[in-house]
Amino acid sequence: MAAENVIEMLHITKRFPGIIANDDITLQLRQGEIHALLGENGAGKSTLMSVLFGLYQPEAGVIKKNGQEVKINNPNDATALGIGMVHQHFKLIDVFTVLDNIILGAETTKAGFLQKREARAKVEALSERYGLKVDLDAKVEDITVGMQQRVEILKMLYRDNEILIFDEPTAVLTPQEIDELMATMKEFAKEGKSILFISHKLNEIMEVSDRVTVLRKGKYIGTVDTKDTDKQSLSDMMVGRSVQLEVQKGPAKPGEAVLSLRGFCVPSRAHKRNAVNLVSFDVRAGEILCIAGIDGNGQTELVHGLTGLEKSSGGTVTLCGEDISHASIRHRGGNMSYIPEDRHKHGLVLDFTLEQNMVLQRFKEKQFQTKGFVNKGAVREYAQRLIEQYDVRSGQGPVTVARSMSGGNQQKAIIARELDREKPLVVAVQPTRGLDVGAIEYIHSRLVAERDKGRAVLLVSLELDEVMNLSDRILVMYEGEIVGEFDPKQTDVQELGLYMAGAKRMEKGGHSA
Amino acid sequence: MKEKWSALMQKDGAKTVVASLLSILIGLLVGCVIVLVVGLTNPGMGAAAAWDGIRLVLGGILSTGRDAVGNLTFGFNPTNVGNMLFRATPLILTGLSVAVAFKTGLFNIGAPGQYLMGTAATLVVALSIPSTVVPAPVVWLLAFLSGILAGAAWGAIPGLVKALLNINEVLACIMTNWIAANLVTWIFDGSNWRNLEENGKTGYIYKTAHNGVETAKWGLDTIFPSSQVNWGIIIAAVMAVAVYILITKTTLGYELVSCGSNRHAARYAGINDRRNIVLSMAIAGGLAGAAASLYFLSGNTEFAWSTYQFLPPVGFNGIPVALLAASNPIAIIFTGCFMSMLNIAGQQLTNLTGYNEYITDVIIAAIVYLSAFSLVIKMMLDGQKKHKTSVPAAADSAPVPGGKAEKGGEDA
Amino acid sequence: MTFLIRQTLIYAVPLMIVALAGVFAERSGIINLALEGIMIFGAFIGVVFVNMIQEAGIFDGAKADNNWVALQGFALMAMLVAAAAGAVFSLLLSFASVNLRADQTIGGTALNLMAPALVLFFIRIIANQNVLNMSGGDAPPWFMLRKAYFGYGRTDSMGFFGETFINQTYPATYVCILLFILLSVILYKTRFGLRLRSCGENPQAADSLGINVYKMRYAGTTISGALAGMGGFVYALTTANCSASGDVAGFGFLALAVMIFGNWKPLNIAGAALLFGLFKCIAASYTSIDINGDGVCMLANLPISVNLYRMLPYVITLVVLAFTSQKSRAPKAEGIPYDKGQR
Repeated sequence: MAAENVIEMLHITKRFPGIIANDDITLQLRQGEIHALLGENGAGKSTLMSVLFGLYQPEAGVIKKNGQEVKINNPNDATALGIGMVHQHFKLIDVFTVLDNIILGAETTKAGFLQKREARAKVEALSERYGLKVDLDAKVEDITVGMQQRVEILKMLYRDNEILIFDEPTAVLTPQEIDELMATMKEFAKEGKSILFISHKLNEIMEVSDRVTVLRKGKYIGTVDTKDTDKQSLSDMMVGRSVQLEVQKGPAKPGEAVLSLRGFCVPSRAHKRNAVNLVSFDVRAGEILCIAGIDGNGQTELVHGLTGLEKSSGGTVTLCGEDISHASIRHRGGNMSYIPEDRHKHGLVLDFTLEQNMVLQRFKEKQFQTKGFVNKGAVREYAQRLIEQYDVRSGQGPVTVARSMSGGNQQKAIIARELDREKPLVVAVQPTRGLDVGAIEYIHSRLVAERDKGRAVLLVSLELDEVMNLSDRILVMYEGEIVGEFDPKQTDVQELGLYMAGAKRMEKGGHSA
Repeated sequence: MKEKWSALMQKDGAKTVVASLLSILIGLLVGCVIVLVVGLTNPGMGAAAAWDGIRLVLGGILSTGRDAVGNLTFGFNPTNVGNMLFRATPLILTGLSVAVAFKTGLFNIGAPGQYLMGTAATLVVALSIPSTVVPAPVVWLLAFLSGILAGAAWGAIPGLVKALLNINEVLACIMTNWIAANLVTWIFDGSNWRNLEENGKTGYIYKTAHNGVETAKWGLDTIFPSSQVNWGIIIAAVMAVAVYILITKTTLGYELVSCGSNRHAARYAGINDRRNIVLSMAIAGGLAGAAASLYFLSGNTEFAWSTYQFLPPVGFNGIPVALLAASNPIAIIFTGCFMSMLNIAGQQLTNLTGYNEYITDVIIAAIVYLSAFSLVIKMMLDGQKKHKTSVPAAADSAPVPGGKAEKGGEDA
Repeated sequence: MTFLIRQTLIYAVPLMIVALAGVFAERSGIINLALEGIMIFGAFIGVVFVNMIQEAGIFDGAKADNNWVALQGFALMAMLVAAAAGAVFSLLLSFASVNLRADQTIGGTALNLMAPALVLFFIRIIANQNVLNMSGGDAPPWFMLRKAYFGYGRTDSMGFFGETFINQTYPATYVCILLFILLSVILYKTRFGLRLRSCGENPQAADSLGINVYKMRYAGTTISGALAGMGGFVYALTTANCSASGDVAGFGFLALAVMIFGNWKPLNIAGAALLFGLFKCIAASYTSIDINGDGVCMLANLPISVNLYRMLPYVITLVVLAFTSQKSRAPKAEGIPYDKGQR
């Protein structure tokens, strides 16, 4: 295949107030190749792609298509150049039908009125040709994440795009769906389409890509041929130092059950069925129990029901021998630490200072108040201690406004607050999402340390690597039910994937096995 | 959205003050331009009248009328200042009312209704307990407290429907406003508190002085002779300080503000967000009710009871008072006085020129409009400062991966 | 019955058109709390326009010739002028919320304070009182359809249909209904409508597809302003004797409630507006409603205070909101300023 560059991004620099997201980055995409863009969270991958797609304007650098310099001022320009993008967070209108979503922005009209018939025929033909099954008349909010991604791909094909950008496309898919996507991508490449594949997952990059460009902290590190490299060296390039891909931990010594769920149900906000349906399991002292599953299969609702953020509609929750099925959030917090999924929504009051955030649950305790008045000195002292103990870095110490801190340090602050409360149960939901490797390592080791102190840890994660590395026991959740229980040493990602996709399930009551 | 207001409150006090002053300045400018244009285009007025108008818009508080030749005269006018303080009393309290709600992430546009309910309760109690039997100060206190309670109860209604049914509090407030307007008319319609004595003046309720109940003046009448000022202004200022302490120093304030800044996080931490929403609206309503009480308990003010088509502007004017002060209770004492100063200027305008008092409402509206984006003004100030002193930029404006735009609450 | 239907329509139609105004703004992502203020402003400008026509003598000429086509033409022109005024006034809201990303609730409130203040300021200067009426003792019935126009005599009946929907009705009402249908079709069947709705649901997605969110939001709010301005004048014409007084009695807010009750969908809104129109109509004229045509005004004879009837529309609104707001679904991105740089 001719090694012709269809797209060249030369010396791109893009600044945001306070940070340089892309610092003199060069990327060359050849005709018909799958080119992976590798980097940690915050390395500048998405920014670079947004520049190519016309969403951002770079301060310096040029973009060339087929050797000609081009100016991409907005997504329309990108589309005109044949560039299409599947964004990490899908750009779909939930209440529109699939067909409306595909034609939006590229509608055929007669006197301003939409002409959908031809569009439908074209989309149906495309969907047939590439085996991208979608229901054109369903509303996007009613279809699965996998199908939503196919809608995004069809959007690009409908616009006859020749250069396809996939931004972290596998994060929301089951291993089987990932295989399908990889096959589709290879099919595109064979037809001569050029593909940019953004990822931080080394397995996928090794499997599908022809070449890899690595970014680190906004800087260009290098471009290598996939066949000439391996996972460890890519990982070193990405992080800049040797990293341990495995978590160091000894065997678990599980004790008594700390948390027991029996026939637990939580209603859904989106539909009439239960989001969590008749779930039963125990979490024992001294073990990390991990709940695996594709996003949106009831994990969020399970945790919300458990912590009291949502009302449960059936079953019992027993924590430390006490039935807390109908207890208040505050009461449950008496025996439970909770590292929430969304640190901006639930974890922090972003406009509060660090010290105010540190006592979010505890401000009513005797040491922090006298007769209804906040005891500021005690709060400051306490916050100071946590900051030192957990190495939370911030501009002005306890009085730093939480909003101004980096994501990793915000998460560390939450972890400090929650773990320092020293409760028998730790609930952690996606504690490492969006963080860099250093922070991930730190958080993993803290969770293992909690386990070794004899606490029960319930971890909910979407990252199968994390699940496999960290857990002592795995439960797979599918459509609100527990469909399987596994020992991480005796299973593999492929097997978990089948259960996560609902293709297989164990008999009910598997939890007691 | 509203969370930003409380963020704004906590830091960069100076920038906030500058932004507010800019809003005031531009607002006054808008008023002056309208006065000028109307003066120049209206055949009955002309440039001289326009100049008089502009001078009164800017310095109405110092106006002492016209001299023999018909020129405007200016100087210290203790009556005006006294009246300004008197009218600032309810404005400070309705401003506090709006500010407390802002702190909890709520927009209390229901102050007019709460004010009306406070008025009704105050007047009914002050006029129906004979001061010949119960000592007048006791009647005064009872009337004051019932005004607060009535306002609090009325404010709690939108709070309740917001907390329990997630109905947008703005719409609920507006409906309760009009319900209050009709309810109050109904309460007084056919009652025997209507003042039928004074000829040519129908549609009013007795002044509380009719029953010998009035707020003490205690020396203020000697400082500001022939004005209406009384100790109500002191009570209002004390309440402002109390609200300040409540918000910044107490655990209850911490709870309320955390609900306002991030309702989800507050819930997560075991804070009862629903209770706090109702509580905050009740406190807000109580403050609006207190505004009505202090105004009508002066003994010298009359209430036009047939109010079913009309909401008291003092309720709405609490919004600019709170916005200009960036919801800082102490600053509200000053912004309240500023608003009532505009009010006095409007009155002078009506008395002394061909213009009318509504121009001050236009100015107030312009100020509210500017306050809506005073955050942007602040950001512009920020930008300038950065260039001058090259303070390292905070990382908070950098894009946060996965950070979604968060909607303020889940309004229906 | 004829009277009841006619009166209900008179209240329902402005509600309907102003609620649709709300839909266009909110579907584009802007909360238009300023509907009330825009109505007040539109009503004022419309009435001023009518006054100008009267002063120019054109109105009297048409009246003398009994030229009802010309008279209706004036009403239509006044509606257009009011719509233009509303559109211009709403630019203040668009500017604040689109360009400056201001808090839309406060921006809308500012306009609601601004409109009555400006209007009263000018009315006082023009008329030296707090109300601006049609000049010279004229009254809005000149803008009504009459039997005589269709060759019926004074005592002839036009039949139930004719009496209810033609005689003594305002063509303005029907113009609004036509406009309502037309705009609803535009919202759902055209490229513009599709794009507008996408901006209210997911502006980031719309932007990534090359749709200019800022422009769409300006378009939505401006259409909203035009409709609200027109609705304000129609309200003044049909229910307030073609007078402006810096007040539409919370009608703009009722329209917002109708919009929520109608779940942001035109057909439901039309139904909701009729229901609210009925209550408004009962509140306004319960003394003269003769439901079964036997000459007895039943409601007036009930031992219920007039104040209760007046209060009713607002109480009903609150109750209706309580029951529907759980199910109702606002455009997802409404009220959130769109910032291109932030994704």
